[in-house]
Amino acid sequence: MFAYVVKRLISGVLVVTLVSMAIFLLFWYGPSSPAQPICDRETSNRCGNKIELYEKTLGYDNPVYEEYGKYVKGVFVGRTLTIASNDYECSAPCLGVSYRTKQPVKEELVKRIPATFSVAIGGAFLYLLFGVPIGVAAARRRGSITDKALVSSFLFISSIPYYLFALLTWLYLTITFEIPLFSETGYFSPIKDGPWAWFSGLFLAWVALGIFGCTQYTRFTRGAMVEALSEDYIRTAKSKGLPTRTIVYKHGLRAALVPVVTIFGIDFGTLLAGTIFTERIFEIQGIGWWSLQAVQGRDLPVVQATALFSAVVLIISNLLVDIVYSVLDPRVRLS
Amino acid sequence: MSAETAGPETLGSLSNEPEHQDPNSQQAKEISGKSPLRIALGRLARDKVAVLCALVVLFFIICAVFAGPISKLFGVSLDTGLASEYVDGLNNGLPKPEMGPPNGPFTWDHPMGVAPRTGQDNLAYWLYGCRVSLTIATSAAIFASTVGVVIGLVSGFLGGAVDKVLSFFIDMFLTIPFLLAALTLAPILNERFNTSDNYSTIQKISLICVLAVFGWMGTARLIRGEVLSLREREFVQAARVMGMPTSRILFKELLPNLAAPIIISISLMLPAFVALEAGLAFLGIGVTDGVSWGQMILDAATPVYFRDYPQYLWQPMVGVVALVLSLNLLGDAIRDALDPKTRR
Repeated sequence: MFAYVVKRLISGVLVVTLVSMAIFLLFWYGPSSPAQPICDRETSNRCGNKIELYEKTLGYDNPVYEEYGKYVKGVFVGRTLTIASNDYECSAPCLGVSYRTKQPVKEELVKRIPATFSVAIGGAFLYLLFGVPIGVAAARRRGSITDKALVSSFLFISSIPYYLFALLTWLYLTITFEIPLFSETGYFSPIKDGPWAWFSGLFLAWVALGIFGCTQYTRFTRGAMVEALSEDYIRTAKSKGLPTRTIVYKHGLRAALVPVVTIFGIDFGTLLAGTIFTERIFEIQGIGWWSLQAVQGRDLPVVQATALFSAVVLIISNLLVDIVYSVLDPRVRLS
Repeated sequence: MSAETAGPETLGSLSNEPEHQDPNSQQAKEISGKSPLRIALGRLARDKVAVLCALVVLFFIICAVFAGPISKLFGVSLDTGLASEYVDGLNNGLPKPEMGPPNGPFTWDHPMGVAPRTGQDNLAYWLYGCRVSLTIATSAAIFASTVGVVIGLVSGFLGGAVDKVLSFFIDMFLTIPFLLAALTLAPILNERFNTSDNYSTIQKISLICVLAVFGWMGTARLIRGEVLSLREREFVQAARVMGMPTSRILFKELLPNLAAPIIISISLMLPAFVALEAGLAFLGIGVTDGVSWGQMILDAATPVYFRDYPQYLWQPMVGVVALVLSLNLLGDAIRDALDPKTRR
């Protein structure tokens, strides 16, 4: 077990290194001139040949490996960034300085994390809360009208693009009917504005995310349960005369949950890495909302930092899923 | 691997149709002449939902292909004159009463009304938006499935180190969430091309490329699995013994046997790409020149417009939902029809 975890950790560190290089190179070679947005911004679109000054101070005339070295060093010990004639102090972990606010990207990123994580945790909780019991219920009544109605109505819901579903929810409940509970969507700090403001601001986003996501979990759980309930040991349990509740929940559900937990882990990681549509529609000022603003404001350091942050969150969550899976199913780590 | 263990989407066991009754009866003789694809088509034609969805999709295809003639027929176009002729600046920029809803009665000059603030004709923009949506989704689906098929074929057939490397790439791309990747690439592509003359064409081409680059993995996996079971079959071994070059085995012997999984993967991609195209435009990181359902939705979802003019939102919304829904349900029916094991 220990050896397996160490092996996975080492490969995780390696992947993070590779991904950070890839993102750095993308932002280095991708734009025709990476200094153009800041130059346009500071000279009110009369950049002209001042671009050279910006490129020089931002280090874009140095070799790329040298600047990547500085970037990595900045992440660990911090650095001082120079843009044109101004110096900006950027403490570790330094992810660059925003072109719009001239503040270190890290500080604002940290401020935005609670919003995104609140959305992700609430939404993911509802996935399981609705998805698994409905899936189990459908699997127990397999072939009945209830099962068929559930399966086809969920197929119908999941065929609609998520963002349209969320958008309609928001427009009708908040704008048209002005339901008081949903009147103010957005992220409010549970400490400063109180837990109720936090809850009512995010509730609609959770419901939209939860209802839409749970259809998928119902499908997974139903499939896994149907398979588990047709196993031989279930028949054995039935012939022993065990109560139905024990058979379904103890013998069936436990076996069926392993694949569901794996998929859930990956989905949860993706949610933590950014809930872009949800944040955009419900005006929750999290990481996804922020990086969309950055894209519109040509704020490359912010986009770069959010991309790196999301990638690291994803890699860590995939790593955790692998480890949890190896605990749940010992066959994995032996192979 | 035998045919029985191959995935549920193989064509291999189609011959086990339980419809063999009396071999001498008239019906049995008719069935014996059918190819697997014709059997699947026959099943599709009997599926009422599939037929309805196919008709809806056909309607959208006609709208997309004949966007020009249809908008001429109604006397509308993408060119808008002075916005103040159409909209009332004092009333939040909503259309004037004589331009139709929401403040006036229906008028044949603008069957679907005009957009607030800009005064653009909704019907013309809807038709051309349909064209953009279908063009991007179809080209991305063709591009992605070509890449997926080639990589799946090579990876499954050659095996060994090549398979390991390609499988690693498949798994790596599968872990990247598409939206995050699109969001990261959008400003980079913008900084690279925003000074170019035909920016909107480049934007569409790069959108197709981004969709394809992050959409080929499902096909590659499906095809790889299929090829793993097909390559041990007698006809492939016979081709090898005859000294056929690998490329010929891949594309002349194996490819025709992969028709079903390829159709299935395209049927999965199309609705996803239509939804993503509109979704990215809605976020402002897809098509930005105005002719896209996603951008119409973005404009119409402004609370001020939505309160007084919900039809403006419903037009593109119905377009996206109807197209994605019918493509999804049609794809589902196609999968069922190609799969001999499912019976409804």
